Parts: sequence; structure tokens; C-alpha cells
Amino acid sequence: MTINKTKNGGALTIAPAGRLDTLTAPELEKELQTSLPGVTELTFDLSALEYISSAGLRVLLSAQKAMNARGKMIVRGVNETVMEIFEVTGFADILTIE
Amino acid sequence: MTNERNAVCTIPLSGRVDSANAAAVERDIAEKRAGHTGPVVLDAADLTYISSAGLRVILRLKKTCPDLAVVNVSPDVYDIFDVTGFTEMMRVERAYRTVSVEGCEVIGEGYNGKVYRIDRDTVIKTYKNAEAPDDIRRERELAKLALVLGVPTAISYDVVRVGDGYGSVFELLDARSFSDILAKEPEKMDLCVAEYVAILKKLHAIHAPAGKLPSIRQKTLSAVARTAAHLPEELGRKLMKMAEAIPESDCLVHGDCHTKNVMWAGGETLLIDMDTLSVGHPVFEFLHMYNAYRGYSEYDPGEILRFQGYDQATADRFWHKTLVAYFGTNDEAKINAVEDKIRCLSYAYLYDWKCLFPSGDARRDEAERGLWFSRLLPLLERVDTLTFDVPVPERADELTVAAKEECLPEVTDFIGERLQKAGCPPKTVMQIDLAVEEVFVNIAHYAYAPGTGDVTVRALCAPDEKTLTLTFIDGGRPYDPLSKADPDVTLTADEREIGGLGIFLTKKVMDGVGYAFENGHNILTLQKKW
Repeated sequence: MTINKTKNGGALTIAPAGRLDTLTAPELEKELQTSLPGVTELTFDLSALEYISSAGLRVLLSAQKAMNARGKMIVRGVNETVMEIFEVTGFADILTIE
Repeated sequence: MTNERNAVCTIPLSGRVDSANAAAVERDIAEKRAGHTGPVVLDAADLTYISSAGLRVILRLKKTCPDLAVVNVSPDVYDIFDVTGFTEMMRVERAYRTVSVEGCEVIGEGYNGKVYRIDRDTVIKTYKNAEAPDDIRRERELAKLALVLGVPTAISYDVVRVGDGYGSVFELLDARSFSDILAKEPEKMDLCVAEYVAILKKLHAIHAPAGKLPSIRQKTLSAVARTAAHLPEELGRKLMKMAEAIPESDCLVHGDCHTKNVMWAGGETLLIDMDTLSVGHPVFEFLHMYNAYRGYSEYDPGEILRFQGYDQATADRFWHKTLVAYFGTNDEAKINAVEDKIRCLSYAYLYDWKCLFPSGDARRDEAERGLWFSRLLPLLERVDTLTFDVPVPERADELTVAAKEECLPEVTDFIGERLQKAGCPPKTVMQIDLAVEEVFVNIAHYAYAPGTGDVTVRALCAPDEKTLTLTFIDGGRPYDPLSKADPDVTLTADEREIGGLGIFLTKKVMDGVGYAFENGHNILTLQKKW
């Protein structure tokens, strides 16, 4: 997995590419811990994300909880496979997916 | 109940045995045992109490009879044996539950006795011989081993008394033997062949762990050697040389895999009668299959109908179609060549069988042995090897890794490779990856914590059936991940707890998940079709 990020004032876009699984999720978690302070609008661009497991969902849920307290979080570019995972787990309802 | 000198000598004990009658009981035992050198079994079915004087009688008997066992012990008397340490010194068996089979449907008849259906889910296989409880226990161990290795089978869960014999209790969900299907619905022949060959290949593709199962090669070679000694010298030598050239193999073989031992149960094929489970080259499996379908009935044409319930023409067609499907060829010359090899071993085995177990009718036995000889001799002239390449496409692949997160890619690659070869579509590969990750990581985190241990992953990929069956086996603490309640996926982000989605996702993306705890191992199976 690689993580691309762009920051524009209080807006942060994070674009993880590849596989977000047990082994890579901690990287994303760490990235968020460093970058999230001061962010009011977080966007996950998942257009290059091929795979997500419960470890990845965990990170997304923590981020959503964090952003609920201080701004908003948007998820976009979700492919069909990842969307199915969001749907069966109810994440399709708790995330704001564009 | 005593028969020959070396047979088991069963002596009943009844009522109270205490200081008042211990000497008389001891004399009685000595009288009943006179002339026997074999093991002694004390039948305590009617024994209500035993005092230390009685125990001393048993202790003295044990000195002259190391094989002594006490059976049918009531719970109260068992306590006495237990407290005094007798259960450590000798085999002391509790009394068995008694089950009546009167009026129950007979659903099969085997070598040992009839099989009754007690109710919809339960069958009892009856045994007449006194050693039955040992046989049943042995078969149960073999069936457990088979199940752990991935062979669908039924496992006996209780030993009971049935009349003056024993019974082994099985749960069997609405199952029918392939013999019954072939007899009543011959139009299902091709379906039966396909299922039969699939389970044979599955069985033969399994590596059996070393030292757990007898070698069918060794057993057969002994029989072949005895037969070879009766053959013209040169042919005898040739037979022996060819038989010895059959390599040792760790393939799992059933050893008696005919259609009465193959059951169709609710969409799944099961193998039963695991008492002959062995390791060895599949040619030995075919030896016994040939005998069941053709060998025995070559001497006695009525045998096939009596034993399998269908006629010889059906048996011949089923056997031939099985060879065609198993060896994956329609080439009659190839099929005949394989069959010749199998028949060499079959006739050598049948000849030996008749020598070991004569019917008592000398003329009949002579004629039967003569037939096996006359069949074997021309085959030995034209056959030059008894081995064939086992067309098992792939072995049941297995990988053992440390139960650690960092081994996940190794597991994913191991399974991915097989899925790619099998032509599994990418989306399904992704779903399988997901399930594998969730299950493996779960084991890595919890099974051995805070210690460490291994996980064995078995992948059985059936490209023709577009099915993957995965088995995860660990020796960690017993834990059924499937027992955990599914998370509520309708809650809002703030209401939801972090985590707890892994096994839920696994259940969602796979077609079947199952859990068992067997022999100290957690066994999780996953199945996916595409």
C-alpha cells in the first residue's frame, strides 16, 4: 500500500492505493494520527484502493468517529469490490460516500 | 460362553462378591477358565457389589492372565474399581446402555452385522463378536483421523448393548448408500460415478501423517507372498518382484471403498466404515474395489446381488465408468492395461483369502482357489508392472506456518496460486483473500496468546466443480469464532464499537463456514464456489 496525501488548509485528502489489510492498516492509522490535528474536512480518495479487510474498516471507523466530533469526512472513488464490503458491514450507511 | 483354547474366555460375575463367597467365586473362575490360554473377560453385568476379598480374587487372576478385563460394570461397582486403583491396572469398562432394535428398519448389512435406523438421525451398526467394543473404538479413532484430514465421514459417538451383542451409534442425516441408489435408480449411475470418483480422488490426494495408519502395501505384500509361494516358481518370483516394486506412498486409502460404504447424505458424499483406513498406493484401493464389484462374483455370480443389491451388469458398468473417470481416459487399451494390473493383485489376494478362510467345504474351496489361479496365470504372462501413475491431479495442498500476522502473505500467496491455476475469477479471489485474512489474523491474535504456535492451512481446489475448500487447523485454546453474535450493522458510527467485523465478513463472503474442535485442535473450514 502507498498513501498519497494532499493538504489544503483544514482540508486533507488521503488516497491509499493497493491493499488496506492487517499488515498495512497500521501505516494508515499512523499517518492519520500525524496529519489529522487541525483538519476539519477529511476526504478519503479510494479510487486506487483494491482491497480492504476489517483492519482497514477499523481505521475508517476511527477516523469517522474522530471527524464527527470536529468536522466532516467524505469517502469517494469507491470501487465495486470495496463498496460491497461497505454494504455488508453497514459502512455504506455510516460513511458519507460520494 | 467359552469356545476355543485361545479365544476370549468370558466369565460372568453376579450378585455380591465378598469375604463370604470369594473363595467359591475363585474356584468357579478357575473351573471355567480351565484349558484356556487366551484373554479372560469378567462380565460384571449382574455384579452388584465387590469387597476387598473379591478384589483380591481379581488381582490373583490378573497375575496369571495379564490380558484380564472387567466389562459391563455398573456405576456403583465402577466406583469401587476406580477408588481402589483397579481401573489403572486393567481394562475396566462401564456397562453399556441397552438399545432395542426390535421393529427398526434394517438399512444395511455388513460383514459384522446388520445396520438399523433407530430414528431419523440415528443408526446403529450391530456387532456379534465379543471384541466389538475394541473394534468400535479403533474405528472411531480412524474415523476421527479421517475427518481431521478432510474426509467427510460419520463418527460413532456411543457404544451400546444390542441384545447379546454390541452396537455402534452413529448420527446419519437422511443418508442413502450408493448401492441403494444404483439398485433403485439406475438412471443415476453417472451421477454416482462422478461423486464416487471425486471422493476417491479427494481421498487419494490427502497426505496421511506418518505412523498413524497401517500400510496397505505391507498387508497386501504378505498376502501376495503367500500366494506366490504356490505359483510356478518363475511366475511366483515375477509376481513378488512386481508387487515389491509398487512404491510406498502416504496417500490415504479407504481399503474397502465399494458402494455400500459410500453414502449420499443431504448433498454431500460421505465415506463410512473406516476400520480399513490405511496409507498406500491407490492400486491397493482398486484391488478391493475390483473384488467387491467383480472378483467375488466371478466365482459366485449370485454374490453381487446379495451383497450390493444390484446385478452384475450394473456392477460392471459402474466399475468401468469409474476407471474411465478416475484415469481420465476413454482409451480402452489404457483402461485394460490398468485393469490387468489391478486384477493380478485381486486374484493373488483372493487366492490367499481362500487359504486363510476356507469355507470348510474342501472341494468348493479347491475349485475357488483353482479359479483364482487360472485367472492369475495368463495375466502374469502379459503384465510387466503393477504400478501406474496415480492421476491424482494435485495433492491436497497443505501449508504450516507460525500463527503470526507477518505470515499472512505466505498464506494468501499459497491459496492465490491455486485459485489462479483453477481459473477462479478475480472478484472471488478477493473475497477468498478477505476471509483468509480475517480467519488467519484471528488465529494469530488469539489462539496461542500470549504464547506462540502453528497454523496448518489446507486448500482443496476442485477446478471442475469450481469449488475451494479451506481448512485452518490450530492447536490453541478451544474457540469457536462462529459462536460470536454478528455485530449490529445498523448502528451509527458513534454507536459502533471498533472491531468485531472480521468473522462477520468471513461468513458473508464465503458460501459455507464450519467449526469443530477435534483431538485438541480448532478446525475451521471455509468453502467458496464460483
